[in-house]
Amino acid sequence: MPSLKDLRNRISSVKSTKKITSAMKMVAAAKLKRAQDNAEKSRPYANKMKDIVFSLISRSSTNNIKFSKTDNKKTVLLIVCSADRGLCGGFNGSIIKHTKNVTDTLKKKGKDFKFLFVGKKAHQSLRRLYNNLTIDLVSDFANPSIEFNIASSIRDQVLKLFFENEISECYLIYTKFKSAISQNVESQKLLPIEKDDQVENHKGAIMYDFEPNEEVILDDIIPKNIAIQIHSALLENLASEQGSRMTAMDNATRNANDMIDKLTLFYNRSRQALITKELIEIISGAEAV
Amino acid sequence: MSFNLEIISPQQIIFNDDIELCILPGIEGDFGILKNHMPFLTTLRIGIAYIYKNKKIIETFLVNGGIVEVSNNKCTLLSEDIVKTSEHKDQKTDDKIEIEKLRVSKKFYYS
Repeated sequence: MPSLKDLRNRISSVKSTKKITSAMKMVAAAKLKRAQDNAEKSRPYANKMKDIVFSLISRSSTNNIKFSKTDNKKTVLLIVCSADRGLCGGFNGSIIKHTKNVTDTLKKKGKDFKFLFVGKKAHQSLRRLYNNLTIDLVSDFANPSIEFNIASSIRDQVLKLFFENEISECYLIYTKFKSAISQNVESQKLLPIEKDDQVENHKGAIMYDFEPNEEVILDDIIPKNIAIQIHSALLENLASEQGSRMTAMDNATRNANDMIDKLTLFYNRSRQALITKELIEIISGAEAV
Repeated sequence: MSFNLEIISPQQIIFNDDIELCILPGIEGDFGILKNHMPFLTTLRIGIAYIYKNKKIIETFLVNGGIVEVSNNKCTLLSEDIVKTSEHKDQKTDDKIEIEKLRVSKKFYYS
């Protein structure tokens, strides 16, 4: 049985842990508010851009846009967005798990893959599994808000690899923000750009007048679209991270409270037991005399 | 005689209102959009966007590249770099003016 002093120490250490977790919860809640605002504000732009690009592609007469073909048929680039820091519940864990699932299916299809990490955490745990497959690591980008040029520099890197035939496909793995307690890991295809069946259904819509012409506009806006999709994914990811951290820290604070209650009860009981024991000793000693 | 114009940047929706006419700096020259314009898609160069309502300019924007889509009496302008002319300030020019003011105020004319 632990002595009373041990118990007191234990209670005070749990109390200070609780202070830390509740402070982290407050910080995360404040950051979440801002991150959520930013993520929601970026949505109309990203969605509209996506619509325009897909309607352009589905109408385009030529199938050979320069963003849809490549000589390399094997290598897939995965852009994995995770957090820079831990203590955010299952956030990084679920991203890593999802990435592993994706790589397993790619392996079965006989494809190679490479990684571009945004955020340290996924890199730290995946680099052991997949040695030498990391192209780049972007970290410490969210202080305090995410600049657009981070997304465009990632885009430039991806397009360079694509045109040099280093990669044939590119996917973006990130966490989509729904609310502070529910986030979903999603993968989104960035490259190559193809007419898919779903888009085909839009046909028969109005014909646009293009200036100067479809190909030039497509070449101009596809890189823009890629950058904006990356940017909005990063914003969603940041909001999800803060949301996840807030709930995790909320849970931790509640657990610390429970623990303090239990320990205090135990402490009081042992103290009482000790007093009773001493009394019994004194009384039985007096009776013996 | 009005149609809806929406100006969206990655940070926010900057403008969303019914207007009569807008003149935008297209990549192949300026163009105006009126009601019942045909479906149209083009990219923008750097320049100034003028927005008219009740035959008056109600707002002007500085645009640096972007995309414009017109369809079904709805005009959407997407730009990463767009700012209201009234809110735009070139810090360098302001600084220069301040420095000049200081220089002038410190000058002794009657010494």
